[in-house]
Amino acid sequence: CSFFAGIMLLEIFLVLGAVIIYFLLPKKKEETLPFKEGWWGKGEKPDTEEDTTIWPFKVQTTEEELSDLFRRLDQARFTEPLENSCFHYGTNSVYLKKVISYWKNQFNWKKQVEVLNKYPQFKTKIQGIDIHFVHVKPPRLPEGQSAKPLLMVHGWPGSFYEFYKIIPLLTDPASHGLSDEHIFEVICPSIPGYGFSEAPHKKDFNSVSAASIFYELMLRLGFNEFYAQGGDWGWLICTNLAQIAPSHMKGLHLNLASVTNVGFTHLLSILLGCYFPGLFGFQDEDVRRMFPFLKKGLYRILLESGYAHIQATKPDTVGCGLNDSPAGLAAYILEKFSTWTNLEFHNLEDGGLERKFHLDDLLTNIMIYWVSGCIVSSMRFYKENMQKGLGTQKHERLTVQVPTGIASFPNEIMHTPQAWAQKKYTNIVSFHFMPRGGHFAALEEPKLLAEDILQFVGKVEKEQLWRKK
Amino acid sequence: ENVLSQIRYFESSQRNPFLVPAAALGVGGVLVYWLRSGHKIKTIEMGDGWWGSGKRPPKGKEDESIRPFKIETSDKEIEDLHYRLDRFRYTPPLEGAAFHYGFNSNYLQKVVAYWRNQFNWRKQVEVLNKYPHFHTTIEGIDIHFIHVKPHYVPHGRAVQPLLMVHGWPGSFYEFYKIIPMLTEPAEHSLNDGDIVFEVICPSIPGYGFSEAPHQKGFDSKAAARIFHKLMNRLGFKEYYLQGGDWGSRITIDMAQMLPQSVKGLHLNLIFIPIRGLRKILSVMLGSYVPWLVGLSREDVQRMYPFIQKNFYELLQESGYLHIQATKPDTAGCGLNDSPVGLAAYILEKFSTWTDKAFRQKDDGSLESKYSLDELLTNVMIYWVTSSIVPSMRFYKENISKDPTLTADARVGVHVPTGIAAFPQELAHTPHVWAKEVFKNIITYSYMPQGGHFAAFEEPKLLAQDIIKFVRKVEKL
Repeated sequence: CSFFAGIMLLEIFLVLGAVIIYFLLPKKKEETLPFKEGWWGKGEKPDTEEDTTIWPFKVQTTEEELSDLFRRLDQARFTEPLENSCFHYGTNSVYLKKVISYWKNQFNWKKQVEVLNKYPQFKTKIQGIDIHFVHVKPPRLPEGQSAKPLLMVHGWPGSFYEFYKIIPLLTDPASHGLSDEHIFEVICPSIPGYGFSEAPHKKDFNSVSAASIFYELMLRLGFNEFYAQGGDWGWLICTNLAQIAPSHMKGLHLNLASVTNVGFTHLLSILLGCYFPGLFGFQDEDVRRMFPFLKKGLYRILLESGYAHIQATKPDTVGCGLNDSPAGLAAYILEKFSTWTNLEFHNLEDGGLERKFHLDDLLTNIMIYWVSGCIVSSMRFYKENMQKGLGTQKHERLTVQVPTGIASFPNEIMHTPQAWAQKKYTNIVSFHFMPRGGHFAALEEPKLLAEDILQFVGKVEKEQLWRKK
Repeated sequence: ENVLSQIRYFESSQRNPFLVPAAALGVGGVLVYWLRSGHKIKTIEMGDGWWGSGKRPPKGKEDESIRPFKIETSDKEIEDLHYRLDRFRYTPPLEGAAFHYGFNSNYLQKVVAYWRNQFNWRKQVEVLNKYPHFHTTIEGIDIHFIHVKPHYVPHGRAVQPLLMVHGWPGSFYEFYKIIPMLTEPAEHSLNDGDIVFEVICPSIPGYGFSEAPHQKGFDSKAAARIFHKLMNRLGFKEYYLQGGDWGSRITIDMAQMLPQSVKGLHLNLIFIPIRGLRKILSVMLGSYVPWLVGLSREDVQRMYPFIQKNFYELLQESGYLHIQATKPDTAGCGLNDSPVGLAAYILEKFSTWTDKAFRQKDDGSLESKYSLDELLTNVMIYWVTSSIVPSMRFYKENISKDPTLTADARVGVHVPTGIAAFPQELAHTPHVWAKEVFKNIITYSYMPQGGHFAAFEEPKLLAQDIIKFVRKVEKL
């Protein structure tokens, strides 16, 4: 009997010893992601020094542009949907016809251009291409306070316009019923290949390239320390930026935090997570959003990722027709604004689009893709990032030490629990389950998102967390 | 001693007048049952359907008339097309992209210029009308087909009815070069005229000149059943089937539904699922000891490196399948409105699926195997009929029910089968794997050249293989 007790004690000591050694062993030195040099202009890079001027930019339109658009809309050829198919086969063409009719008869692009131009916009050449951005300073600053620079990066199929509702909440919080303890000056660039930023002419322009360019942009604007916020591709670009320049980033706020580096523990937590949530660090809300996993995870991803699959392999093919047919472009983009806002919208004949968005806003976003002709280059970003497969890139294996705040919206396509996020984001300062909202958080729930950003920045500033890295 | 006692027992039982007849009956009954069940082939359910708009009309007889028709065009149609071609908004390709990002838009501009200035749609319509076209209503929708009979058949010579089914993004037009080789083989030096066909090429509902289903759920089994009804309506009780792409899926369904009507099934594409330990083992060992797992050297050459060719390549080339199987109405919307977008989408497949190496070329090597006239005629069929969206819906209807797109292995395919394996096809299925589902393979041929669009690209090779197959079946 004592022999067995002896064995047991030995086993316990061995395990304890291993655990202690594991924690005491010096951790691998945290690598930073190297800044990615590049030159994306046409032809050969010139020998001359790059022009670093920043010049103001205004969106413009012409009669010709409008009449060409209307002619195409008038001649659009639609296909009857199957009976009772709602949005299950994609954008319902009966509803699409209503949108086209509004687009032609009520939507006022000239007025929307004025709306776009209400915030100051600029362009500057970085790594050979013109980068477009919005730069909004606070209208007034209380005594002794300085504005905190905040870089906000959009995604696909969005644009800088998605931030137009949230910008005033961040530059002038007091006028919108929010605390003015922290006031921001907001910079919203367009990702190269999107909207009014020039598209790269060379292959291999990925999220690290975009992050490097935005890093140069912030430095060129004179910001040594800044915050960054992003969702969709903006999530990845801001994450890369935090990995490239951690000493310049005070905090990183995300409304999407995907995990691409899936390992054995992830699989285990998928299999057993709903039975032993505590064991895997899952909270009740995590379990509610993630399980049953086949239905809410795997099938949902398969059902909704067709666009990503074709854009990551044949962007020039799939974008070709969309740059020629505004109705086709609208159908393609609107489908995402429906499904990614709430998956249940599949079951509605109008895709629930006007429940959360105004047609003017949706069409303004689409017009940005149309007038700039950027749909093909926007899709190439998928190939450049995903071509070699998920989980294979260097930056996917590196962690993020910058103080991070995550706003987890309930109708996001797939839920990432904090337990998974913290493997990559090692310094999560706040993680909140938002009460409502989907993928396009800034456009759909600007106040909720602004409040979360403010409380996150509040935490970071109060404890000066960026100094403790 | 034991034996002797056994014999004595037997002799004594002989005396029982009931025992032997009863035993004989018993054994005989078992034999008869076994023989009958051995011959009884399993089939898949035929089912029924209604695809017209609104509710199915109460029991009235469906109009079974077969109405001849001619394809037509108009100035308006051509002007509208030209107008759109002139206004195409082009995005320059990335430097050095060739066809790696999809259809290269520099080459696309050349195609559009030809389409606008040289392609003659009126002339192509006449080409299309050289074979007789018909419409007939089945299950509520109009089914289009061409029916080509041989010009002259010597007295007493049998003419084999042959149903040939196209796929996506093809059409009945893919068969225009092979049809004369099958209806007049002697004139093409293919045989002595001992095997002669009359060819029926329908358009799958939702494709080309066949009406698109208005109801959800139209899958390959529905198409299979409709094509059986079509052949029946044309007066055929037994016929041959040929197919690739969706045509393969549909003709296999036809063979499994009504084997007694299918004299033979010829395929240029099959998919077998890589399921089960044996298959996986055979994949792992195949390149080292192919003979052990029944693979030939040609099989190994076509299938390996396995992960590269069957996993990565398929992922690289299946984006269209993924989006069409989930959001066909979205994917097709712009393509039905932009003829250039439609051409880029469709012609990309005619490049890549003919030979994967074509992706490295700036022009996708399209014109090395096809003429722009024939490629654009196929695209025009999708354009003038506005059938791109319904054609894509077929993916969703089928893949949501069976993601693997393989034949029902439990039922198996028992009709005489001929397989033509083309080297540049998307995936290679070796004979040893095909045997698991196709129980009655009469011919399996490694074709010397050619890709996915076999009838379009290598009509003579395909015709030779079909004739070789049918000759063997007829001898049986």
